[in-house]
Amino acid sequence: MELLDKLTILADAAKYDVACTSCGVNRQAVKGQLGSATSAGICHTFSADGRCVTLLKVLLSNVCSYDCAYCVNRRSNDIPRATFSARELAELTIGFYRRNYIEGLFLSSGILKNPDYTTERMCEAIHILREDYGFRGYIHAKAIPGTSEELLVRLGVLVDRMSLNIEFPSEKSLKLLAPEKAGESALRPMAFVRDGIKANYQDKRLSTVRRTRFVPAGQSTQMIVGASPESDYHILKLSASLYQRLELQRVFFSAYIPINSNPLLPATSEVSLLREHRLYQADWLMRFYEFDVDEIIDEEHPFLDPLIDPKCNWALNHIDQFPVEVNRVPYEMLLRIPGIGVRGAKRVVCARRERSLRFEDLKRLNITLKRAKYFITCNGKFADGVLFDPLSIYRELTRQAKGRRFKGVLDGQLSLFDEKSEPAPTSAFSLPASVLSSPTSVLPAALASASAKPAAQPATLPPAQTPILARRAS
Amino acid sequence: MSLAVKQEGRGGWDRGMDDVQPVYLYDGTLEGMLTAVFEAFRRKEEPLNIVEERCLQQSLLCSYIPILTDVAKAERVRNGVTTTLGERVYENLKQVFLSDDERKGGVIVRYLLYTMRKGKRACSHLANPAVDSFEDVLGQVAKEAHYMLQFVRFAQLQNGVYFSRIEPRASVVPLIMGHFATRFNIQPFMIYDARHGLSGVFDTERWWLVDARDIQEPSQTLAEDGFQALWQTFYDTIAIEERRNPTCQRNFMPKRFWGNLCEQVPPQLRNIRPKTTTPTVAARLGAPSNAAPTETTNLLPAP
Ligand code: SF4
Repeated sequence: MELLDKLTILADAAKYDVACTSCGVNRQAVKGQLGSATSAGICHTFSADGRCVTLLKVLLSNVCSYDCAYCVNRRSNDIPRATFSARELAELTIGFYRRNYIEGLFLSSGILKNPDYTTERMCEAIHILREDYGFRGYIHAKAIPGTSEELLVRLGVLVDRMSLNIEFPSEKSLKLLAPEKAGESALRPMAFVRDGIKANYQDKRLSTVRRTRFVPAGQSTQMIVGASPESDYHILKLSASLYQRLELQRVFFSAYIPINSNPLLPATSEVSLLREHRLYQADWLMRFYEFDVDEIIDEEHPFLDPLIDPKCNWALNHIDQFPVEVNRVPYEMLLRIPGIGVRGAKRVVCARRERSLRFEDLKRLNITLKRAKYFITCNGKFADGVLFDPLSIYRELTRQAKGRRFKGVLDGQLSLFDEKSEPAPTSAFSLPASVLSSPTSVLPAALASASAKPAAQPATLPPAQTPILARRAS
Repeated sequence: MSLAVKQEGRGGWDRGMDDVQPVYLYDGTLEGMLTAVFEAFRRKEEPLNIVEERCLQQSLLCSYIPILTDVAKAERVRNGVTTTLGERVYENLKQVFLSDDERKGGVIVRYLLYTMRKGKRACSHLANPAVDSFEDVLGQVAKEAHYMLQFVRFAQLQNGVYFSRIEPRASVVPLIMGHFATRFNIQPFMIYDARHGLSGVFDTERWWLVDARDIQEPSQTLAEDGFQALWQTFYDTIAIEERRNPTCQRNFMPKRFWGNLCEQVPPQLRNIRPKTTTPTVAARLGAPSNAAPTETTNLLPAP
């Protein structure tokens, strides 16, 4: 098979894996060797879907002996199969890298024979790249579920980042949709990798020698949103504990996109995409804005508001803490003002040392007042035309949102909303629950009913209705 | 001049024609710019702008003062800046100087007039217009340099040199050469800035800049087509149709760069040869001698 065809098959099979970042490790270049890594990462291009392309993201092979319901590579699908030889893959990576197309390699694979055998093949390919070609660029490898710890160690010292996908926010959904993977929870190997990373720092000798450093850029995971019935609350709680207990670098969310010759629900992926977007916003609040998960979402309102972002939602729910005076409020509270980011907050702190700031000054600091103006005062005064009233602020903010990215979805949501009930002023800020109360509606009906039955009846759907999903491997 | 018209509320202009802010003319070099700054301090005046002589479009409303570049004066400004404001600020100043923004001279001189008087701490007075506009231009140049780290695309020429053509909106080649020279230290390369007529050349030992105003651009080799076809295929394949979002794509990767990105060549213009003749990667990656096709190319000036 031609290399071009192999690349097409194996890139196509890998494209749904969302974890494409090249950050987290700083590796200086060395004379006589190709490559380096910068901790901020570099995006080299942006595909038609607006996603950053930074790594050559491919599968080693899309041959798979498992049969996960959501995956295009499942063994029961009749699709063209291909496998890279270790050398082909290494040469492709080097060729792209030398032309500044990429920062490095993202390697995953279908399960050839068994997990250990697959991981061995992956190690072999990466080993050639590192040793024979002296490659010092970024490598992200997907750890195959069920791989032995010995092999995880071998893989871990070759790569920068490792990821183990937990796939679904609950064990139940995993059992249903990926029966062969169930029982091999990703959490145990994740804890193993975490301990290995910790050992890097304890052993000073190791940490300076590149080759023996274990997963220096940390580990990440991803889960599919919208294919199983878990709530945003459940998902965010889970990711918070992944950050805290397993010390993950990133938790990625991947909107469920059914690819079906006759889609049952046309708007499906759009709703999921908006949900994914809101989850990422909440994730940012936890990672960079010092929000606690319980401040963002609670059990009674288990879904994020599709109409306004989680930070605005928090502010409106805590309107008694606003308005804040920009010239006096501490940094931590600046971070909590909707529309003000980490950079903006730092600039404010820096600039207000010199003089007390007016609204014009904020504009000069590149702070967009579109959302912020409802929540702040400058020298005791509100911006022109701002009415400090929670309900009217909510209206303004949702009006802004409607004009933007997810227009179609929101319009749909709104009309639904209008029909059902009048926006009750007091409960308006926690309206998501009522609007999006059934996430299962984004599931193809067949799958939804299957998942509703708790009985262990693993996805025995009639073939015609089985959603053929292009999903990444493993 | 008695024609002076009083205009109110227009900053420097409401002082009448007699003491209108002058525009300094310099020769386009960093030393020239610094000499002009020196003159502003010496004359105790704030020039409206400092512009390069050859780019000048004379206007009757301005008075022009040509500044003769004097390395000793420039050196004194450099010393003054590094001792009062620190090395870092001097580096920033050089970076602002690389900008294409025609107001950069005025921006630099106003920044220095303000900060040199108030001291190092004034550099963080972000709400001050002089500091703000300096930081603004600085940020633009840094952004442009970062774009280049992302969007430089090399193509290997027949003589083994990796060649890249860029058109940045600031003369950022000197800012990016270090990054590429360390990362790609095993390959000779050249980054040609077609907009500013400047090339950065690296020969696997060190890098330098050459004037490239009338360079003949090399044409592409057949072997390189093969690699670009692989890259284009990968690029097209990786996009998820259901998530198509051109606005987002263009926000991150403005259209003005697309002309120099091989993955953005529309399919009908791509030179994908029949599959049976696509050489394997191994052949293309091997020693240049066995991979080199026979057609001729315009070669680079020897690095
Ligand atoms: S998800 Fe992985 S293990 Fe499951 S079918 Fe796909 S490639 Fe195989």
